[in-house]
Order: sequence, then C-alpha cells, then structure tokens
Amino acid sequence: MKHHSAQREYWRSLAHLAGSPDARAAAENEFAAYDPDELLKMPAVTRRRFMKLASASMAFAGLALSGCRRWPEQKLAPYTSRPAGRTPGIPEQYATIMELNGVASPLLVKSFDGRPIKIEGNPTHPWSQTVHGRSGAADAIAQAAILEIYDPDRSTAVINRTGNTPIAGNWDGFTGAMNPIIDTLTSSQGDGLAILSESSSSQTTARLKAAVAAKYPKAAFFEYEPISRYNELAGAKLALGQPARLVHHLDKAMVIALFDADPLGTHPAHVHYAGLWAMNRPNKQGDMSRMYAIESAMTLSGSVADCRLGVQPSRIGAILSAVSARLGAGGTDSSLSADEEAFIKPLLADISNNPGATVVMVGAHHEPAIHALALAINQKIGAIDSTLALLAEPNENVIDHVQSISDLTNRLKSKQVSTLIILGGNPVYDAPADLDFPGAMASAKTSIHLSLYDDETSRTCTWHVPRAHFLEAWGDGRAWDGTASIGQPLIQPLYDGKTSDQLLAFFAGEAETESDAIVRKTFATVDDAAWMAALNVGQFEHSKFKPVTTAAAPQTYQSPPAPKAYGYEVRFLQDSKLYDGRFATSGWLQEIPDPLTKIVWDNAALISRKDALALDVGIGDTLKITIGNQSLEIAAFILPGQPVGVIGLPLGYGRDMNDNVGANVGVNTYPMRATSAMYFSPAQVSKTGNYYELATTQDHHLTDQDGIEMRQTQVGAKHTSAEVIRETTLAEFKRDSRIFEKNEEGGFSLQLYQPPMEFKDPHQWGMGIDLSKCIGCHACVAACQAENNIPIVGKDQVLHNRQMHWIRIDRYFKGDADDPNPEVVFQPLACQHCENAPCEQVCPVGATVHDSEGLNVMVYNRCVGTRYCSNNCPYKVRRFNYLDWQSQDPRHDKYPKPYLNIPDQQQINTVPLVKQMMFNPDVTVRMRGVMEKCTFCIQRIHTTTISQRARNEKMKDGDIMTACQQSCPTQAIVFGDLNDKKSKVSQWHEDKRAYGLLDEALQTRPRNKYLAKLSNPVET
Amino acid sequence: MTQEWYEQPFVFPKWANYLLPAIVIGVAGGLFYVPTVVGLGASPKTTAVGYSPVQPVPYSHALHAGKLGIDCRYCHNTVESSNFASIPPTETCMNCHTNIRSQSDKLQPVFNSWATGKPVEWIKIHDLPQYVYFSHQAHVTHGVGCIECHGRIDQMEQVYQAKPLSMGWCLDCHRDPGSHLRPKNISPTDMNWTPPEDPAQAAQLAADCLKAYLIHDTPYMQSCSTCHR
Repeated sequence: MKHHSAQREYWRSLAHLAGSPDARAAAENEFAAYDPDELLKMPAVTRRRFMKLASASMAFAGLALSGCRRWPEQKLAPYTSRPAGRTPGIPEQYATIMELNGVASPLLVKSFDGRPIKIEGNPTHPWSQTVHGRSGAADAIAQAAILEIYDPDRSTAVINRTGNTPIAGNWDGFTGAMNPIIDTLTSSQGDGLAILSESSSSQTTARLKAAVAAKYPKAAFFEYEPISRYNELAGAKLALGQPARLVHHLDKAMVIALFDADPLGTHPAHVHYAGLWAMNRPNKQGDMSRMYAIESAMTLSGSVADCRLGVQPSRIGAILSAVSARLGAGGTDSSLSADEEAFIKPLLADISNNPGATVVMVGAHHEPAIHALALAINQKIGAIDSTLALLAEPNENVIDHVQSISDLTNRLKSKQVSTLIILGGNPVYDAPADLDFPGAMASAKTSIHLSLYDDETSRTCTWHVPRAHFLEAWGDGRAWDGTASIGQPLIQPLYDGKTSDQLLAFFAGEAETESDAIVRKTFATVDDAAWMAALNVGQFEHSKFKPVTTAAAPQTYQSPPAPKAYGYEVRFLQDSKLYDGRFATSGWLQEIPDPLTKIVWDNAALISRKDALALDVGIGDTLKITIGNQSLEIAAFILPGQPVGVIGLPLGYGRDMNDNVGANVGVNTYPMRATSAMYFSPAQVSKTGNYYELATTQDHHLTDQDGIEMRQTQVGAKHTSAEVIRETTLAEFKRDSRIFEKNEEGGFSLQLYQPPMEFKDPHQWGMGIDLSKCIGCHACVAACQAENNIPIVGKDQVLHNRQMHWIRIDRYFKGDADDPNPEVVFQPLACQHCENAPCEQVCPVGATVHDSEGLNVMVYNRCVGTRYCSNNCPYKVRRFNYLDWQSQDPRHDKYPKPYLNIPDQQQINTVPLVKQMMFNPDVTVRMRGVMEKCTFCIQRIHTTTISQRARNEKMKDGDIMTACQQSCPTQAIVFGDLNDKKSKVSQWHEDKRAYGLLDEALQTRPRNKYLAKLSNPVET
Repeated sequence: MTQEWYEQPFVFPKWANYLLPAIVIGVAGGLFYVPTVVGLGASPKTTAVGYSPVQPVPYSHALHAGKLGIDCRYCHNTVESSNFASIPPTETCMNCHTNIRSQSDKLQPVFNSWATGKPVEWIKIHDLPQYVYFSHQAHVTHGVGCIECHGRIDQMEQVYQAKPLSMGWCLDCHRDPGSHLRPKNISPTDMNWTPPEDPAQAAQLAADCLKAYLIHDTPYMQSCSTCHR
C-alpha cells in the first residue's frame, strides 16, 4: 500500500486528536449504556412499574401461546369512483414549490394513496435539476417539510385571545369576528391597518396586496425577514442603478473568489450552485476549478475551498477593496496583514490568468457598498455575462427589512395601528431586540397572526389563524432566476389552515376564497391547456427575469480603518438546519448533525482554538457574551477553522414554545441582535465557569486510525493500516495518476472468511461516492430519513450513541490542531454492502445475509438483538432500535415508557395517527429490539424491476436511484448495476481514484467504492 | 497455603444431585412443549385457512366470476399494473346494477355508498403481514394463475382463504416455480386450466415457462430481500 498521505493526520475532533481518554472510551464502547449509578437513582415508582410491566408481559406470553389469534380485522375501503389514471398502490408525483425568503425551490413530491410521503427536487426545473443527471436535488430543509405537515404539534384551530383565556375556534368564527372590523376599516379607508409579511416572490400575493391597498388606501405594508437579502439588492442598485438578481454560472468559473459568501451552503440557490460547482471538481478534461474563500465563519463553501483564510467580518471590506484597487476597479488599497497579502497574491494572479472565467461573490450580510464594489470588480474582470448574469428584479423598490420593521414598531408605539395582520413570520421571536417589538404590539387593538404553529408571535396576538402548509395549498413563486413556478397541493388542508393569500383575499373582499381559484385568477390570461402544462412541470418555461442592460459603474469604496486593539467580534449565523429558527419545530432537522460541528439538538458559540486557549475554555464550557447592555450565556464549541477573534452564534434556537420539540432547544441568540448590528458586532467575551453538555455525533462510530490501533492492540499486532480517506492534490494526481492504486504487498492476500456465496444474477448492485464532490450538506441524510422511515431519538439518546441515521457524513479535519485553516474532508458512510461481510459471519440467527444480487440484507423478523453484527462491522453503520423510537417523543424523559408492550400492537397503539401518514409504505417500520441499516433502497430496486419486467422493458443505467443519490446536489453518489460495464457506477469502480474502504486491510470487498478526493490548492 | 481449585479433589458439589431430575423434567416438558408449539403454529386455525368473514354485501364470486363468467380483471383491474389487485370502486358495481337488480335489498350498502360517496367497507381476507411485500403484478404477468393462491374463487359463494399464505407455502413455489406456471396463451384468470398430467409433458411445460417468462433462478427466488424490505 502506498502511504502517499500516511504522514498526514486525520482527526475528527480535538479530543480525538489529543487521544483523550473520553474519545478512546467512546470508540471502544460502541453501545454506550446507561451509567449503573444513574439507574440506581431511578425513582422507585418507575422501577416498580418496570417490574409490573415485565411480569405482565410474561403472563401475556403465556396467553399468546395458548390462544393463537388472527391479526386484528382490517377493512378495505375502495374508492366509490376511482379518478381517471389513478392506480391504487402506485405512487404519484406532483411538481410544487417551497418558498423561503422570497425564493422558490422547485420540488417534486411523491404521494402514496393521497398522502405526500417524500419530497425531491423537480428534475424538469432548471433550479433543482442536477447537472447530467435525470434527478432533482432538494436540500435537507425542503425534504424535512414532510415531517412538518404531519407534525402533531401543528396548530389545529383558530385561537381567540381577545379575552382573558384563549378560546379555540374555527375559520367561520374568525370571519364573523372580523366583519365589523372590516366595516370600520372600510369606512376609514384602512386608517390604522398595518400588514406585516414575509418576503415573497408570489405574483398572487403581490396582486392581493394591491387589492388590499386599493380597498384600504391608508393601509400600510411592511416586510421583515431576519435574514435579509436587502444589502445585496441595494448594492446592485448602487452599482447598476437598479436592483438586480445575481445569477452565477459557477460551471463556467475556473476561479471562484468568495468574500464571506457561501454559495454551496446558505445561499438561496445553493442546491443549483452546488451542482454547477461540482461540474469542475474535476471536469471532463480532468481540470479543476479553484475556489478561494475568505470568510468570517467556517462555512460549507469554505470547508471545500482550495484556499481559505479566516478573518474577522470587519476585514472583508478592506480586503475586497484592496483586491479591487489592484485590479483597477476602484476602492482603496489599504494595508493588509501578512496573511491577507499572502492570500490575495495567488488570487490576483489567477484572476489575471483566467479572463472571463472568474467570479467574485460577497455574502449577503455585508453592507451594500461592498456588494457594489464586487459588481465593479466583476465588470472589470469580464465576469458579467460570462460567469455572472445580472437579471432585473421585478420590484424596483428595495425593501430594507430592518427599516421596515423599525417603521412598523414606531407606528405601533405612537398608536397609529389599530389592526395588525402578520402573515407568517415570527417577529416577536426574531425582530431586532432593541426595537422591543413584542412590547409595541400591545397597542394594536386587533392583531392577527397566520402561522403553522401557535408560536411566540401568535401568543402575543389577539388572534391566531392556522396556516395551510405549502403541501396543502396552492401558491406561486419565482425561482432564483425568476422562473415563475407554481405550488400545487398534495392533500387537503389537514386542519382547515389558510394561506396568506386566502387571508389577504378575505380582507380585500375578493370573490375567490379557495386557494386554487385565487392563484388561477393571477394567471387568468393563461389558457387551460397552458395552465395544465405548467402544472405538469411546475413552472412557466422561459419566464425568468429580464437581463440588466446597464454596466456596473466603478466604485469608490472607502474601507473602514482597522481597529486599533484586538477584540472579539460576534457573527450571527444562519443555521444550517433551522435557517432563522422557523424550522426549529422539525425533529428531523434538529437531529441532523450540523455539517461542521456535528452538534445535534443545540447551538453553541463557535470559537477558534486560539481564543479558547486564551479564554481557558473547552467544549461545553459556557461563555458570557456581551454586546452593549445585552448578554447571554452559551456553551463554547471549539471549531477548527473558526477565524480567530470571531465568535459564531447560530440563530434560530431557544424557541419559546410551550409544548413543542423545538422549545428551549439551545440558546436564543436573537436578543443580542440590534438594528445597528444585524449580522456582526464587536463584543465582550468571558468565561463563566459553568458547563453544559453538548450532544455531538463526531466521536461516534470511529473507523479511522485511532479505532484501528485499538483493534490492533486488542487482537494482536497487525502490520498494515487501512486508510479511510485517500486524498491528494490535482497537481500530484496529474504527475502520478497511479497514486491511489493499491499495492498488494502490504495487504492480506488471504481472506479471513470464505465468501458466503457466488453472485450469478444478471444485476449486481453497487455504489460509488466521489469525495471530491461531496460538500457535506446532509441532503442525503434527510432523503434517507424520509425514504426509509427512520426515527429520531432525541438529544439524550444521541448522547448514548443511539442515533438512527442509516447514512452519516464523517467529517475529518486535516492539519494540526493550531492550523487556522485546516482542510476538511467529508465522507458519507452508509452500509458498504461488503461481499465478504463481517456482520454476516457473527449473526447467530442468520438475520443478516446476502441476497443473490449482492446486497447485504437485514431480516428484521429474524433479528433477536444480539448486536454482534454491529460489533463486528468495521464501518459502524448498523443501528439498533433500543426503544420503539417511532412512538417515542424525542423529548421523552430519561427512562422512556412504555418499557414493554405487546409488540404487534405497540405501534398501532402509540404512533400518532397523523404521524403514521408520513410512513413510506414500501419500507417496513422497524420496532424495538432489531438492528437496521442501509438497504441500498431495496424498495426502489424492486419497484423498478418488477414493473419493468412486467412491461418487458430493459433496464437502463440510472433507472434506479437510491434516495441519497437522488437528493445529492453535486451528484457525488452514483448507484447502478456493476454487471453493466457501461454503467456509471462500473466506470467509477474502475476509476484510478477508486478504493474500497478498509478493503485491503480486511478484504471485505465492499460494493461501495469511494473516489479519492482531489483538491486544487495553489502550488507552493 | 490454600489449595488452588485445580488441586482440589474432583468432587461434585451437592446441588449436582438435583441435576438428573431436572434434566428428566426438562426433557419430558420439552417433549410436550415442542409438538404443542409446532402443532399450534402450523394449524389451519393459525394460518387462517378457511377464514370467511361475512361481508357487508353478500357478493357471490360463484355467480359473477363462475356462472356469468366475468373476467377477474373486470373488477380487479390493477392486478397487472400494481402490487394490489385492488377492490373495485362502487362505480364498477353500479355499471351493471344501475339497471340490474336496482331495487335489491342486499345491494343496499352499494347504493348507499354510491349516493353518499362513502366507501363500502369490505373485510380483508387475504391478509399478509406488513413486512411482506407481495406484488400481484410480478406474479400475474409471469404466468401465475389466480387459482394458485386464491383457489376456486369462481366456486365460492362467500370468499374464504383457500391457502395457508404462510412463508413455507410461499417458498414451496419459489423453490420450484416451473410447475406452478401456465403458458403464455392461457389467461392467468382461467380457473379451469390444469397442467398436463403426464409427468414428462408437465416437466417440459415447466421448463418452457421458466424460459418464456425469464423466471429468476433459485438463489434470487429465495433471497430474503425478494419479499422482505
């Protein structure tokens, strides 16, 4: 084996690097159990209950033996009249959209017998279509909407809080109470009416707002998003004279310079951008783009960038200005630090060497002048119309969200608002803290909040109206490039929720009250045939925004002076999962690990190691962070790569919702945010001496050098080390393309076990994962969760190593602990489907065996829960159902109930009915006490093969896609038939970069092969 | 110095006296227990052969499929395209019963369903466990006749479960599919077709069918993942 990178150290956490006893113990003890001392502390009542249930179940076992019973009687309820084209048992797919912050993500939703069960990207829509592939990608947030619609915590009724106690009511009661208010408003021409809405690109919403404005000329409209794109638009207005939508063609850019921008992670169009970026990683010619990231946080884009520099947020403007000045695009060339100089030198060289194939991006949180400057640079370097398209925003007036919410608050404070309508959003929770929006709201006599949940804002309003989920209602919106897209419902509203359009239509007195009629009216000029065609693909083709014709003017940006003394800066971060907090109610998202910190069910103050040493804090030690007179206490998390002097504070946690999974999870960081400093601010930081336990998945399931060493010490010395990650630079790979070829010398030529069987079937399934393309976004984890009915377990159980995700993304940092810019490698890891599977050799009951097509299958009914298989799995990809997670609330107490129940009745009895609607009927819902793992989406394999065989069709490469593959925005995963030598997966397996994980050391012959990671740093 | 355990004389402890009676009782108990469990597990009562609940409408397959000769697929029309044969919608009944016996008391639940839009709630008879993913499409399009699993439906006044539908019973066929297949020119719904009695002819037909339908080989047919996911 060639040890091309044996000298480099791979580590997953600082504890792991230091070989801390805790990390070693965590790796040795895969099945972390309850502490016996804790069990002794278990309340006596609970212990007695346990014994009672245990003995009762023994008695039942006796009964079951004598009285064999048939399963419960089941009813079959056919249609009375089956709709045309409807085949029971065959899922249907509908195109729709999910709008977030005024940008529509195109989706394709699978519905099974009328229940939406799986969300994917719309493959016919350019903004979710994966490049080359026939699939559509969607991010984890969009995919988790399936859980949201069936969330038992959703608000189910109109709530009237005008009196002392809240009264649940219905829509008719609400309209009845509103009619007198509408009469008053009509007579006063809407004096005192204020409407606060979220950002929206919907043409229907715009039409209805105009209708409301026409009926109530004195009504005032406001808009607020806690994470606003105002700066970007205002910057474009500065440079171009009009607000513009920046559409980056990352596929054409060989040099990408990111100034605190995160096109692959938090950008509204990140799904599409990730696909474009991956086209050059590497491209067909074997070349690679080079991405420079200079950033004030550790972002996904930064983690896969070839050159990265972490700086304080206040430095971004100065550095961009220097770049601009040296390129002759205006701006002042202020003095840069040595690190900064060293960073921009190769960047400037690359820019001049790649005319027209370069693009500069700036993060949306920086001030307008910086965006204007970036546009001037892009104009100068010839990016515009080649790597960057400028499209005109439909709305000339750019709304400054901070200004808008301030104006509204001032009106409320001066008692000019009698009726306040809040369409979605959650301003009580997320408005800038210095405004005291919740306090100001009290002056409005009537306040109405439309929301999915009875949340913080709803509780402050006099009326709460349940909102229709986007899967329940019609709507429209525009994708990032302006393509007009239509949202159609998959199901009737479960709780009689209304859309914001319906509420506006009601106040405008429109004749149409149903959401379909309302949306159809907006597109009244479209004939029925064209409408149906648009519904079919979810969009009106060729409807993107018109291009901007003016050129960007050179800018004279005066960069702010560097601060004299070193101080901490806080950077407020859009959360990778909860966005601005609106998705905090989703258990799936809460339990998906953050891509970089791997924290679940919490947020933490992200801090560099240098700062942590200076403050004398470790992971979990809490910090007191003070901005002005506001302060909060939050646990520190030492994140390698976090810029020195920057404290990252993720937004969206610490929701104040009585009885919701998201309530009080993490720390609410909004109280620190002020109108003057929405995204970053100087701050004082000190150690408190307290400790808070964070649940991270990073030390779980170790399979790397550390774990192997342990195994070696336990079973006797072995002489090879298996490399988990293989990686090199593009230049190195070009010099020696055989660098990854295995050398038999070091490996075992003898196998430990005989291969279990020969594989003669015409199809032999295999997978390939390209580590060069993986950006660690976790879309695959969400896809797998939805497709395979995977439960969530809650923070407490994650701390016990019991998370259930079938696919995890291992994140390795490379470099030494003090390296300010460590390299990051993401490795998605699911069952490797070893042909020579160690798990199969140790199962005493034959519950895990091979099938004839080479899949390692898990037979739940045979499993008795010995967990030997997982013990013997070198990849640690097997998951055990310690409890009946599906029926458990993830916030269950430490000793969850019920302990024992009659197994086949358990789920019928305890999984809430509405949650049962979410299950994919093609996949068994596993119960307590069985092992489970990735199946290569065997249900998809069988559904496709059965129907193709019935129709005498021949299978083509790509006909079967696993859920993870389908959702991957960068197409880093391929799946297919290894017997088909032309299939993409066969080609990947033959690639010079291909390697089987631990294959040479253990001879497991995995059916999944990784393509070694290539990066393209500057040669020194 | 105390003796190590291996230096002590080899003497049985006292409790070993009870070992023999315990073994005798255990074996005697096992002789009773094992046949009881196996017997109960395999009994038709457990597998529910003959299960024949009274349906809300006394629909007679003997009349419709047998005497009138209506093809199974007139009502169960998704059998070749879906996992489920599917129970026909009320509309299918009404296609004929708008005119025929339109006043019958026995058909009242059907008329009610048609008038109200609420389904007739039939009682499920052939009930496979939920971890079994049986596909009608895969079987019916590959030469497996309805009769193989459902018996002589065309002679049943009230439908009952004719076969055990147990895993062992499934595997009987999956290990020897050829002898349960019918040639392509015979409809899967034909209840009167029987395989040739001559063993040589039957074997020839089985071989032909396996080839004609591209039936998977035995390792595939008995892989766990073929039916369980």
